[in-house]
Amino acid sequence: MGRFYKYRWQYAMILPAVALLFLFNYVPMAGIQIAFRDFQIGSSIWNSAWVGFDNFAFFKEPQFWVVVTNTMYISVLKFIFGFPAPILLALMINEVLHSGFKRFVQSVSYLPHFFSWIVVAYILQSFLTLDGGLVNDVIQKTGNESIFFLGSTEWFRPMIVGSGLWKEVGWNTILYLAAITAIDPQLYEAAKVEGAGKMAQIRNITLPGIMPTITIVLILSIPSLITVGMDQIYPMMNSANMSVSDVLDTYVLRSGLQQGYFGMATAVGLISSVLALVLVLLTNAISRKINGEGLW
Amino acid sequence: MRLSVGEKVGQTVIVILLSLLCLSVIYPFLYMLAISFNEGADAAKGGVYLWPRSFTLINYEIVLGNEVIRSAYLITIARTVLGTIVGMLVTLIAAYGLSYRGLPFRKGILAYVLITMLFSGGLVPFYIQLFNLGLTNTFLVYIIPTAFSAWNMFVMLKFLQGIPEALIESAELDGAGPVRILFQIIIPLSKPMLAALGLFTAVGHWNDWFAGAFYVTDQSLIPVQTFLQQLLNASDLSAVMGSNNNQEALARGSQQNITLMSIKMAVVMVSAIPILCVYPFLQKYFVKGVLIGSVKG
Repeated sequence: MGRFYKYRWQYAMILPAVALLFLFNYVPMAGIQIAFRDFQIGSSIWNSAWVGFDNFAFFKEPQFWVVVTNTMYISVLKFIFGFPAPILLALMINEVLHSGFKRFVQSVSYLPHFFSWIVVAYILQSFLTLDGGLVNDVIQKTGNESIFFLGSTEWFRPMIVGSGLWKEVGWNTILYLAAITAIDPQLYEAAKVEGAGKMAQIRNITLPGIMPTITIVLILSIPSLITVGMDQIYPMMNSANMSVSDVLDTYVLRSGLQQGYFGMATAVGLISSVLALVLVLLTNAISRKINGEGLW
Repeated sequence: MRLSVGEKVGQTVIVILLSLLCLSVIYPFLYMLAISFNEGADAAKGGVYLWPRSFTLINYEIVLGNEVIRSAYLITIARTVLGTIVGMLVTLIAAYGLSYRGLPFRKGILAYVLITMLFSGGLVPFYIQLFNLGLTNTFLVYIIPTAFSAWNMFVMLKFLQGIPEALIESAELDGAGPVRILFQIIIPLSKPMLAALGLFTAVGHWNDWFAGAFYVTDQSLIPVQTFLQQLLNASDLSAVMGSNNNQEALARGSQQNITLMSIKMAVVMVSAIPILCVYPFLQKYFVKGVLIGSVKG
């Protein structure tokens, strides 16, 4: 007992965190049983009737598979463009000779990260609206038909991928730029003496130098493959683009919180939580193999 | 340093591309600013790209005279200040407690925290728990459920373990208890780390619209971002017209043909300007923050 008493202050300081995690993480985990019960809000979870796998009937609905496809489509697209872009940008920023301009580019390109996705949605709306928006204004002046971007199924994915790039590309260069700074300058000096040009230096020194960082970022982005940030999608969603914009998170949100199908929404949520867990564990195993150590 | 022709061309291309990138970040704000200072019906004809063509302050008069927006602003400020202080405190003391390596069950408690980062019950059970605890439709729903951040705690823990143990031991010899050590040694030494994580937490609170949109129904409790989210897809101006203090501005507004879009631009600028103003002063902290966080916890 003396051992515990000695650390009484430390336990007291950890207690609020433990209590908060219990209330807002572990109790909801126990609440997953709603997926197997017939639950109504206001009644007790523990007293609701068991219904087996009835809440998993969504597997047979075509709408669910549309949602799964949309989720995969957007997350894969975001990865294909979002992963290499910061590496390219970091390489370019690194080559800038004028240090004042370099700092300016860094400051400006980090800025969008600090605005909410709602603000991003406003920017898109202001540029793309049919009523005097810049883009349609230019389209009309060049003699073409206006495009209703915001309610279009073809333009939804490019808008999401493009605005996602705009918001995060600069921010995501921070790690790469730090890794580049850590490369030994003597390597570049030696390469210059040997007559290597800029491109050869990038290929043979800079890229290998930041390869560990690239690997880590790559590994860490695996779990995000099944979660498409609802924060970004939801503000841009409307009834006109629903067939391509509805993703797993928005599906759960709508069927659960808005329509009250708690059991079904919990079941869908459970599927994506399990998939996320599998991906994280897989990621950890890969990391262990490549880097010799796991993520935790 | 002399540059070869190839290098000069390379520099020029890079500078042009990066300048375009910077323009793509800065221009949208200038564009929205111009529209927010322009008469709505006039802006809808197109052609207002950089400078208001038909200058007016009416959009801002109406937006700033709106009670819902004013209360939303107060809610945002209150939750950002309170949420950041409470969140940083709860997370810091937990990290500090767990930084004692001799603590019995330390590994078990760390695992208890880590599990919550790997698996969650999902949105619906979380919402039901908020409902059962009576947190839905209260201000505290912005503060309490997110007060402890497992991610921030691991970053802090990593940082605290870098503080030389000799410092703490000598303080203990002088008779200082853990609480005094926390306030007199740990916090002063952790200032850069606390500033960086505090900044991220504050931005998270400032930008969160989700809690206000789904955990709260009382309009007097919504933050600015949730107001923006509601206005984003509004089909008419009733959201800002309904509760306006400045009736005289409203009457003039309808004469000057305000539109939903011009009002929207004024609201979004009002929400963005504070971030634009503090941003230059905070830069040195957040780069540090990302780099601290990237070190494996």
